[in-house]
Amino acid sequence: MDDNLNRNVDAIVIGGGIAGLQAALDLADQGFSVAVIEKDASVGGKMIRLSKVFPTLDCASCITTPKMAAAAHHERITLYTYCDLKSLQRVDGSVRADVIQRPRYVDAQKCIGCRKCEFTCPVMVADQEQGGFSPTKAIAIPFSNAIPQIAVLDPEHCMLCGRCERVCPTQAVDYFQKPRPFTVTARTAVITTGFEMTGMTDKPQYGRGTIPNLIDALQMERLLAPHGPYNRVLRPSDGKAPDSIAYIQCAGSRDISMGLSYCSRVCCMYAIKQAMLLSGSLPLADITIYYMDIRAFGKGYEQFFQNAQAMGINFVRAKVAAVEAGPDGSVRLHYEAQDGEGVTTSDHDLAVLSLGLIPAWHPDGICTLATGTDRFIEVLRPKLAPVQTSMAGVFTAGAASGPKDIVDTITEAGNAAMAAGRYLAAQPGSTPRPAETRADIEATVHIDG
Amino acid sequence: MTQDKKNDNATAPRIGVYICHCGGNISDHVDVDAVRRQIERMPGVAVARTNMFMCSDPGQAAIAEDLQNGTVDRVVVASCAPSLHEATFRNAIRRAGANPYIYEHVNIREQVSWVHHGETATAKAADLVAAAAAKAGLLKPLTPIRVPATRHATVIGGGVAGLSAARDLAARGIPVALVEKSSYLGGQLARLDRIAPTGERATDLVRELAGAVLEHPDIAVYTDTQVVGCDGYIGNFKLTLRRQAADALIGAQADDIPPAGIRPTGPSAAERQETALETGAIILATGFRSYQPRRGEYGFGEYAPVLTLPALIEKMARQAHQGPLLQIDGRPIRSVAMIHCVGSRQIPGIHTEDEEGRLNEYCSRTCCTATLNAADRIRREHPGTRVYELYRDIRTYGRGQEDLYEQAARNGVVFLRFEPDQEPRVTAADPDDGFALKIQVTDTLTFGETLDVPADLVVLATGMEPNDVSDLVEMMKLPVGTDRFLLEVHPKLRPVEMPVGGIFVAGTCQAPFDVGETCNAAGAAAVKAAAMLTEGHVELDPFVAEVDTARCQGNGACVEACLNPGALNLVEMQIDGQTVQRARVTPALCLGCGACVAVCPTNAIDVCGMTLRQYEAMVDAIVAGPAAAETV
Amino acid sequence: MGPAIQAKENKILVLATESCAYPGADSVGQAHSSYPANVYILRVKAPVLFPERFYLDCFAKGIAGIIVMSCGEECPYDGAYHALARRLDRVYQTMKAQEIDIRRLRLTAICTVCNRAFLNEVNQMNELVQTLISAGHA
Repeated sequence: MDDNLNRNVDAIVIGGGIAGLQAALDLADQGFSVAVIEKDASVGGKMIRLSKVFPTLDCASCITTPKMAAAAHHERITLYTYCDLKSLQRVDGSVRADVIQRPRYVDAQKCIGCRKCEFTCPVMVADQEQGGFSPTKAIAIPFSNAIPQIAVLDPEHCMLCGRCERVCPTQAVDYFQKPRPFTVTARTAVITTGFEMTGMTDKPQYGRGTIPNLIDALQMERLLAPHGPYNRVLRPSDGKAPDSIAYIQCAGSRDISMGLSYCSRVCCMYAIKQAMLLSGSLPLADITIYYMDIRAFGKGYEQFFQNAQAMGINFVRAKVAAVEAGPDGSVRLHYEAQDGEGVTTSDHDLAVLSLGLIPAWHPDGICTLATGTDRFIEVLRPKLAPVQTSMAGVFTAGAASGPKDIVDTITEAGNAAMAAGRYLAAQPGSTPRPAETRADIEATVHIDG
Repeated sequence: MTQDKKNDNATAPRIGVYICHCGGNISDHVDVDAVRRQIERMPGVAVARTNMFMCSDPGQAAIAEDLQNGTVDRVVVASCAPSLHEATFRNAIRRAGANPYIYEHVNIREQVSWVHHGETATAKAADLVAAAAAKAGLLKPLTPIRVPATRHATVIGGGVAGLSAARDLAARGIPVALVEKSSYLGGQLARLDRIAPTGERATDLVRELAGAVLEHPDIAVYTDTQVVGCDGYIGNFKLTLRRQAADALIGAQADDIPPAGIRPTGPSAAERQETALETGAIILATGFRSYQPRRGEYGFGEYAPVLTLPALIEKMARQAHQGPLLQIDGRPIRSVAMIHCVGSRQIPGIHTEDEEGRLNEYCSRTCCTATLNAADRIRREHPGTRVYELYRDIRTYGRGQEDLYEQAARNGVVFLRFEPDQEPRVTAADPDDGFALKIQVTDTLTFGETLDVPADLVVLATGMEPNDVSDLVEMMKLPVGTDRFLLEVHPKLRPVEMPVGGIFVAGTCQAPFDVGETCNAAGAAAVKAAAMLTEGHVELDPFVAEVDTARCQGNGACVEACLNPGALNLVEMQIDGQTVQRARVTPALCLGCGACVAVCPTNAIDVCGMTLRQYEAMVDAIVAGPAAAETV
Repeated sequence: MGPAIQAKENKILVLATESCAYPGADSVGQAHSSYPANVYILRVKAPVLFPERFYLDCFAKGIAGIIVMSCGEECPYDGAYHALARRLDRVYQTMKAQEIDIRRLRLTAICTVCNRAFLNEVNQMNELVQTLISAGHA
């Protein structure tokens, strides 16, 4: 095994979600070598965790998995997962990333992804990959289509009983694994650090996360996913199939009281999409979307919205002022109706907060990238150079520079790869190199030997 | 003993079968050694081995050794899912100096040992390995197809998308021909003034982009030129360009004439009337035109003070009038009403189709922000002019756009919201009112109250329509969506590609976009073209159709069934002194789907690496199992 | 009478597309969900490759049931799904003419994470095959 993870490549991509994967593929296909640094144990980002995606309603896994696999198998791409970026600096015309790979407590070179450890482990923990609705084990493969397929031990919950170590056919479990610092140097970098959702607990008027059966949209994605926690849509408090479901739009966006004045750009469409999927799985349920403006602006989106209305999904134009727990596990909404009835309340069996998007990563203390007042990465020329950051030779794409849907993210990632390619081509003595001998790095080892 | 039963015929395949224990993952449920013993006796199998971990170095070394010493020339590995290790073993075979396509993978973990237990698991594993061995005996070495590619790209359209794509490609060292129908570069952007939310001048952006393109030695700019012919395929297109009469000059200066764009002053790249161009990739950047309202639509064409938003922007850009009231065409405007979604978000049954029966059901994406930008500017520069916005939904989705919306509201723009089935009505005002027009609107923001808005000016926020490119659509076999925009292969998997290999799409010919989004689309298209042209050749999978001309009778059923027009053709050839028609595959265009295979009456066409005979052999082995195959 | 199903000939063939259904079957394996061992999965690029006679030959050879697991509308080859559906319609007509139970051939769409749908399909086909075997004919 090569203990030295250090690499010298043409381009570093920070973040292995759909933006980072697309940028890496488009750079590698131009002949440049790429290292992708991902914080999670699997690449794929938010997209691989979704059920189906608008406006085509095709399955998110079927669209994401091919790109994940293409990146993992690409001879010029190295994937580093489970890594924290400690610093990103320009040094003598190059970009230097100092990274620490967190311990999985499983030897990535030895693990064959067979899950024997997971089946043997006696410790159940809530599976955050399933919205916390169903259990996983203290040692497990992150999720079924994760890449790489390497188990991760959760040291917070592990009882050190030793069963996984004994059952592992390759002796891959290593309770003494240490964090591994390493350095990647390159000539350019692409920042694709994506987004997180605003917190359930952020807004007192919405119960700060204490109302049963008030869930967030990513949890609903898991309930709707083909391999979700219950295999169907049930409300979490009592397992009842909901007859009435509410969507509360702009719960965390366009809301100055929460310090988020901007539009999160995807919530209208994901709520409509979820509503359509719900009306498929619960044909008798009433679904109501409480909204301020429906922003269906992308290709095919307006027709998608019109189809949802034709399917009988209710659209109520109102900003929901407050939410509280209602009788029998229901969720009670208070809102001002536009039909002149004044302040109205309505009870629903299940309610979904369409939370907004905030940056998943902030450059504070890591690099000198400028950010906007919205805390997303600043692009200096949003019209002619929408991927150029404040650092020379550093580019960005996707939700790192503001909320974006998947279609816009993928296109922007292509442009970031173009801009980075142009930057590389302008450097002295730079021609794309043929593939170097394959480095036996952790993330690729399981896939390619 | 395997050596003993080796077939005498030197050309017969010698199959090596390698079965993985996967550290118990397979061998806990499948009797790996029993499978090996059964397979070993199959005809054609030269050697069968097992290993604790086939993917490990010793496992791979065993395959390499057998290949290198000539024991085997076909390889079957039975292990986990092919998505995990098929590439591993193909690479191991390549490293051992053999052709990687003599390999067949068997999935006995995900599809056997993890889903079946006991004797049935072993029996099924043996059947599957036997099937793979049967297929392996029929495998041929294959070579990836290399299509030479002309290191040159052609961009059609000289607006933001085309300029941006041309500049990007040239910066990557790829010579570019930029073909523009009109005499000007800059497209629709040149008609705009200051653009939201950055406040940059559109003309500055056009000047910067067009300047970079005109200065670049590797970009040939063909203005007043149209593409009138297209032949060939990925990497090898032949285009015919035709020059036409130049547009009439607008204004006095010849090189920079807003709102038309930049007119190149140097010699045009097209020296002759017709130019033949060999090019490797084509980027379509043919752009949009602004929706032209019907006569009578919100009073358009009936009342002079009803303008489209682009017309308002042009008029405002040309006059630098200061003062409390906006002036348009010399008239002071005390009140302006701006109506959103004109020619966009049209709903069947509510809106009127155009003369060809079409509705624009899509959202044009940019008009909300453009309208707010104009409204806010009027309020800031002419505080005496009242501004009303009549809208359905305000779609300020992008970065900085919501701030613009709030700013416009703070600056006193009045918002009224209408339902699509209760459209505002524009009529002449009573002479006593003192205003030219009044707009009746049922406002859902005030609980459905019907209001009369007085106005000296009505501005229609018109949407985008794709330019008419029916000639290119026909010539290049391009798909068009129901919205009449060019339709990409898949919005997420292949968002800038046309189904015809080597043709890409960028900007507002695909869907409404703003300037930044257009530049992203242009870069995304350019990066695909650059990746394709970097090596000077395109390398394609060898899994394409192949015709056996001895069997082909030239009946053309395959050509008809082919899903990618052009991939299969009937050509004349001489066989035994006779001129006959035979099918011919253009590998660069073949998708390898096999639609042709199914329809050939003489079994004369097959897909390399997955022939019908191979599948039939697999079915035979599955039915019979290894024990029976032994006696065949 | 068409070809009868003999007691030992209970094998079910699945033609699974490499981009959707085949990884879908792998996903079932990763979940360690069990299904009948008489189900044999062949990886295909696009099932539009197979002529009508391929299906009929399979039945003649002794295959008890065939499930074509395509990508459905998400098919990467534009037009292939409809060509396939039309072809299978013709196969059904021949099967009827040859008195082969048409339920022995199924066309379905399975995606990369359609675990339940996959299990439903193979279990239903297996039940059918077992019923036909115990009835002594197809």
